[in-house]
Amino acid sequence: MVHLHTSLRRRTPEGLVRRLEVALPAGGTLADLLRALDLQAEGLLLVVNGRTAHLARVLEEADEVHLIPALSGG
Amino acid sequence: MLIWRVNLQSGSLQREAVPESWSRLGGRGLLARIMVDETPPGCDPLGPNNRLIFSPGLLVGHMLSSCDRISVGGKSPMTGGIKEANAGGTTGLKMACMGIRALILEGQVTAAPAARADWRVLHLSLDGARLEPAADLVGLGVGEAAARLLKRYGDQVAVALIGPGGEMRLSAAGIQNLDKDGVPSRIAARGGLGAVMGAKGLKAIVFDAAGAAKPPLADPEAFKQAQKVFTRNLADHPQTALYRDYGTAAMALTCNALGGLPTRAFSEGSFEGAETLSGEHLREVTLERGGESTPTHACMPGCAIRCSNNWGGPDGKSLVTPLEYETIGLMGSNLGIADLDVVARLNWEVNDLGLDSIDLGAALGVAVRAGLMAFGDGDRAMELLREIRQGTPLGRILGHGAALAGRVLGVIQVPVVKGQAMSAYEPRAIKGTGVTYATSPQGADHTAGNTVRAKVDHLDPKVQAALSRNAQISMAGYDTLGACIFAGFGFAVAPEVIPGLLNARYGWQVGGDILQTLGRETLSLEREFNKRAGFTAAHDRLPEWMTLEPLPPHRSVFDVAEADLDGVFDW
Repeated sequence: MVHLHTSLRRRTPEGLVRRLEVALPAGGTLADLLRALDLQAEGLLLVVNGRTAHLARVLEEADEVHLIPALSGG
Repeated sequence: MLIWRVNLQSGSLQREAVPESWSRLGGRGLLARIMVDETPPGCDPLGPNNRLIFSPGLLVGHMLSSCDRISVGGKSPMTGGIKEANAGGTTGLKMACMGIRALILEGQVTAAPAARADWRVLHLSLDGARLEPAADLVGLGVGEAAARLLKRYGDQVAVALIGPGGEMRLSAAGIQNLDKDGVPSRIAARGGLGAVMGAKGLKAIVFDAAGAAKPPLADPEAFKQAQKVFTRNLADHPQTALYRDYGTAAMALTCNALGGLPTRAFSEGSFEGAETLSGEHLREVTLERGGESTPTHACMPGCAIRCSNNWGGPDGKSLVTPLEYETIGLMGSNLGIADLDVVARLNWEVNDLGLDSIDLGAALGVAVRAGLMAFGDGDRAMELLREIRQGTPLGRILGHGAALAGRVLGVIQVPVVKGQAMSAYEPRAIKGTGVTYATSPQGADHTAGNTVRAKVDHLDPKVQAALSRNAQISMAGYDTLGACIFAGFGFAVAPEVIPGLLNARYGWQVGGDILQTLGRETLSLEREFNKRAGFTAAHDRLPEWMTLEPLPPHRSVFDVAEADLDGVFDW
């Protein structure tokens, strides 16, 4: 499951969504996921299963991926 | 520029020249300098020798976006060490336009809690200063008190005031400031400075800037150019749009994703109700409700980011402004509450009492652990807050914050450092911020150096000390400039803008590393004051239970090496 934070929410035939299932070929990475979603990694915090992850991270079926536009907190 | 020095005991009101050694500092840095120079480190924070100091940052006064903050400082009744708390609103702007580099308050009307007739309002204008009776304001919440003050002195003044919490000298009492719309909602919240003001017998300070102009510029054209670059960089930055649309509440789902959202009295790091506490939800609901509700609001005149909001109820009428992530974390997930209407009502109550919503949220978490309320019970939480207004013993215990509440109620799982509560970043999951909590001279305070945004493994203990060091230096620098943390991403695009603005404002020749220079100087002075007040490395630690009790979902403990903590300020 891919969680799209704040401004990354997107319009789909089902309406405005903040969660998506994305099918990737076996061995697909975070970089592949971003390409599939047409997103740039710059300015994004990438979190997989609760931990910050790198673009080369290979994704598995049950992974929870959070794509978070950078924020500094308040 | 001048210093106003007011002694509440003798009633003396004096203008002084700015000493040479203070002239290149403002805001947090100047507070630290004055504290080291003047305040006896062993003084009782609520006694006559403590100073309560107001100082706008170095860049304040020009409506430079997000750069008009006021710093308030003194010795903290909560931590026993140095304290700086800063706020937006209009106090800093008016002070700077009146040429006031610092206002120093000394003495106190009486050592015992002041009688009604003893309370004072301090009125400052270009004509001078005077102390006036405040008997009619005693006991009022900040909402009603501010409304009366604006009626009495006109709606163009800035006001810094305390609520019943400060009057009762509660350690979690802050000092409220008016936002640009005259609402007392911008609180210098942390560490009990409202209690220091209350102990001096001062209910409010009115800054009447009638006849004042913006501070002079050594090189107006260079300032204008630097301001233009900064404003453009800020306006074009993607984070500006994010904060405008979602505010700080966007951190709720970020921290939840990282397992660092304080949940049920800091016993878990993710909350099943996070969705309805999120910035995304806040935006949808405020837009849907309309009326006074808005996801976007500027706390300071001229701010290009406008990260604040106004949370209205189902009828659109304002329940509280603003509703910020820290309060959402501490009074929402920390209490097992997933309803922003409930959080907003609790938030309004603590605001009106003039108390710090972070420490009060943490204290209510302690109350749950002690069996005084159940998680998710917003009605009971409100009852407990109302006990503070009534001045009952239990209310006062909670109003002194989480550390005292834990001690009285026999709870050791209390999220505090140096007696001050942690904010909404769990240090066992976001360990860099944990290093800041542990080592900051201010006590646990995310605004002293938050690392959540860094692209690192936040669970890896080895990389956190350096991250925290850099964040703490930058934040101490920004706090000395009077810049909001969010101005930082505008400055980061073109760091040369900071020396450019300072040199154009003051005719200085400072270099590109001025932000870090000011930050290091400020931290060194703060640590010097704390050292003289009796602080040692043993105080730069998280509470032991956080090193022992694993935090779900990562089952992590705080395990940054003590040597790393001790080395944070070795630069």
